[in-house]
Amino acid sequence: MAVKGLDIFKLSPKKNCKECGSPTCMAFCMKVAQGALPITKCPYMSDEAIALLSEATAPPMKTIEAAGHKMGGETVMFRHEKTLVSRNLFAVPLCTCMDDAKADAALEAVKAVDYERIGEREYVEFVLVHDAGDADKLAALCKKVAETGRGVIIDTENVEAAKKAVEAVKDTKPILNGATKDNYADMSAVATAAGVVLGVKAANLSELHDTVEALEKAGNKNLVLDVTGATIKETFANAVLVRRAALKDNDRTFGYPSIVNLAKLTDDVHLATALAAVFTVKYGSVIVMPEMRYAEALPLYGLRQNIYTDPQKPMKVAPGIYPINGAGPDDPCALTVDFALTYFLVSGELERSKVPVNLLITDASGMSVLTAWAAGKFSSSTVKKFFDEFDVAGKINNRTLIIPGKVAVMKGEIQDKLPDWNVVVGTREAVELVKYLKDGEYKAAAEAVAASKKPAEEKKEAADVNAPLDFEKIAASIPAIKIRDDLDAHYKQRDPESPKFVTIGERIHCISPVIREAMATFNPDPILERAAQQIKAGATYLDVNIGPAESNGPELMTWAVKLLQENFNNVPLALDTANKRAIEAGIKVYNRTNGKPIVNSADAGSRIDNINLAAANDAIVIALCSADGIAKDNEERMMHCHHMLERGLSLGMEATDLWFDPLFLVVKGMQDKQMDVLNAIKLFSDEGLKSTGGLSNNSNGAPKAVRPIMDSALVAMAMMQGLTSAIVNPNDLRLMETIKSCDIFKNNELYSDSYLDV
Amino acid sequence: MPFVPKKQAYNAKINEVVLGVGEKATAIGGQNVLPFHTFDAEIKNAPKIGVELTDFGMEEYTMPGEQAFYAGCESVVDMAKRAETMEGASFICLHFEGADPNGANKSVEECVKLAKDVSDATTMPLVIMGCKNVEKDTELFNKIAEALAGKNILVLSARDENYKTVGASAGLAYNQKVGAESAVDINLAKQLNTVMTQLGVSGQNIVMNIGSAAVGYGYEYVASTLDRIKDAALKQSDAMLQMPIMTPVSSDTWGVKEAIMPEADMPEWGNQEERGVEMEIATAAAVLAGGSDAVIMRHPAAIKAIAAMINALM
Repeated sequence: MAVKGLDIFKLSPKKNCKECGSPTCMAFCMKVAQGALPITKCPYMSDEAIALLSEATAPPMKTIEAAGHKMGGETVMFRHEKTLVSRNLFAVPLCTCMDDAKADAALEAVKAVDYERIGEREYVEFVLVHDAGDADKLAALCKKVAETGRGVIIDTENVEAAKKAVEAVKDTKPILNGATKDNYADMSAVATAAGVVLGVKAANLSELHDTVEALEKAGNKNLVLDVTGATIKETFANAVLVRRAALKDNDRTFGYPSIVNLAKLTDDVHLATALAAVFTVKYGSVIVMPEMRYAEALPLYGLRQNIYTDPQKPMKVAPGIYPINGAGPDDPCALTVDFALTYFLVSGELERSKVPVNLLITDASGMSVLTAWAAGKFSSSTVKKFFDEFDVAGKINNRTLIIPGKVAVMKGEIQDKLPDWNVVVGTREAVELVKYLKDGEYKAAAEAVAASKKPAEEKKEAADVNAPLDFEKIAASIPAIKIRDDLDAHYKQRDPESPKFVTIGERIHCISPVIREAMATFNPDPILERAAQQIKAGATYLDVNIGPAESNGPELMTWAVKLLQENFNNVPLALDTANKRAIEAGIKVYNRTNGKPIVNSADAGSRIDNINLAAANDAIVIALCSADGIAKDNEERMMHCHHMLERGLSLGMEATDLWFDPLFLVVKGMQDKQMDVLNAIKLFSDEGLKSTGGLSNNSNGAPKAVRPIMDSALVAMAMMQGLTSAIVNPNDLRLMETIKSCDIFKNNELYSDSYLDV
Repeated sequence: MPFVPKKQAYNAKINEVVLGVGEKATAIGGQNVLPFHTFDAEIKNAPKIGVELTDFGMEEYTMPGEQAFYAGCESVVDMAKRAETMEGASFICLHFEGADPNGANKSVEECVKLAKDVSDATTMPLVIMGCKNVEKDTELFNKIAEALAGKNILVLSARDENYKTVGASAGLAYNQKVGAESAVDINLAKQLNTVMTQLGVSGQNIVMNIGSAAVGYGYEYVASTLDRIKDAALKQSDAMLQMPIMTPVSSDTWGVKEAIMPEADMPEWGNQEERGVEMEIATAAAVLAGGSDAVIMRHPAAIKAIAAMINALM
């Protein structure tokens, strides 16, 4: 079992001397727990502690490297428990019994299968060279294989033959698959001398276990286990039992990757494909196929790619121009994001339409269209950047650009940034594409766009995105602030130091069509009405999400902040947008009477700079404990937390101005991770840190009647763990009453019979 | 230290469901261990393979291997009789693609007649797959369940939108087996089984179709849903997830690029039929390794390989 960073911290000198290269002992210990640094980097760790930790931190299954490929290192039996880390590798066999022509043909066939799929090179990584009793030929064949750039598995139990073959290819780091109960000492000597991985074979698992124990005793822990048995059935049992013993029963002797030699069990390629699929799913590390044509490679590599995807990280396709149905420079372009499922759906439908289209895939961090748009990862700027980077205008002559219907709102901005193109709005769903393209609606739409362009319009001077904001100009450019006195919502003066739970009302969000429309037209009423509703319901802060707002972010945020604060007694606000300049402008006009502004949000990855933004403006920042995708576990969450904490402190922030968000996960789908999130809150709280998060995400997709019940239960549990704030829908009465009640039990608010009305 | 493997058999088990009547009746489920884990405990019923036949008949079977196998067949009934002779097949799945109102829009009467004719001419259990149009499927399932009363067929499948009608007719009135179809989501799968049992359909008469995908096309969701369902059914003894699982494989795999791209367009990929067959094999093998108790397949060569695999592993 892996040791937790905090356990290591308890044994550390806690002197923050920085001699290890990490800023604090805590940070160092987190990295040790992640396996990123060896414990020995700390000069002050006691010998006992080191001994204790190196044993305890040893992974249950070793990561073994051969021919530049990693194998093993798995920590779970099922991918949903965490993730599988080292994708299985494929091999095909050669034999010294083959004549030269046959061996050459087999090698040529290996080389023929070599292609790219979703950013990964797919090819036969290893060739297993079997020794049928000819040491010289074995060495020669191995050499020939090594010259093709494929890894070599030397398959011999003859020590002398092994020596020769290893000598011939040792620089390519082959696997010497040949230790048995009878020869292991000599074979191990050959492998160790050359620094190569040793494969261990046995007649049954007991013998395998004994042989590995003997090898380990002799000091060789650079092993793989050939679990191939006498039958297919026995081989499957071996693969499962070895992996299960290592991961579930903590039997380190079996904590090595496996070789499954299907070529030994069948020469029927169809049966071998079936078995290879089984062993890809269940516990083969290197799978030897009798042969590998495209017919086998396409499904097997596809399956492998799926199984070894991190469930917490979206699968992405490489950004670029993908011609569909033989599209060329004169065919239209359709734009979408790099989320693999989106890509497969869209490209599949485009193919079905038979209409030649250039599919443009932009880098959106693997998010779906709407999510990416809301997070600012799919915007007119990212599209413009993509067009420049890939020289789309230079490669494509046709000027029709179809954008996803879900982000119709981006049309104007994209049109402004790409004035030569005719931007038309496509369908909302991929399945509607076939009809849309066949009907040819887009052609007329593109012509209409082209016709509507004013011919000799003077080019507007592009605004310099780095120029300091001209606040006076912004203030002068926004509409007069409308004051509504009919809303009957009065924000009560608040003590920013109050220990009471802080609710951040989430209802002013531009993913809502009403709000999106209101923001596009500077229409105050829908925004004020939603604000009033939330204030009446008892929200402490209001979140203001204006979307990416690339063209007018500073103006829009300035207007929204003034509008809300002037109407509602300086209600404190969370400024929520990917547009930094908009946040800066919003804070400029922000009144702090009832609390500092909140920057929503920073993370430990690409958005870490928002901590600087908060620091420079004396604001609170919501710090998402993630970098690229959801954190795998609390070790990772805490690593991100400390990384951001260090950044904030180094910029002079108060620790309590960073509100850490563990990222609440949806129960439907991530039920088994709920306690992790709750435990993370406890870890924050134990360090005296504040926390927040989009709590109601847990019940996404649950029936309307159930959601308040789930949200209330979760908030109570989370407040018990020390949660200090949450981004919520304040109109959820049950949730708000639960929060008020919890504040009573936590002694944050003095009880009175009418405490719910206060 | 000698290695003594720990057995991992569970107290809970997957429901055993029998399809069809007479000698050819076939049972799926019944095991209390993970797929093919015969070393943990005996597995009573091997996973089963069904042959998919669409109501369009021969025109849909264009691959040389399929043409050869069904040579001389003039109707779907002929094909069904031939399919019974296929090595490794245990049941026949009639797929009424032609019922789709947005497609050929065959009448319910025509479909019922075909189902009846096939049933009369064959002895293997029958599984009825619809056209995915909820209204049409509902009517189709009701009428076929009625026409084939006593044959113990499986209708594949009731969904969230029509489980009440399909469950009441096929499951309750005509005592057939009912499929419960969800879209690769463990929570939806459990929900549908729960409401269907609340309706009165016995859990012992339900077979799950939890959705699928061809390998390489979002299959990770299928893999994890299967893993999690088996975990809940066996380890947590969740009775609402102990129904056996049947997965239609061929309808997904023969639609992906790897299977439909002609060799002329993609010469380096080689023979198109081989690609389709391997795609079908790899997907079927993966779902069986994940926990499907039955798969619906199409190409004789693919079925032969999967039958060989099941034989070797059991």
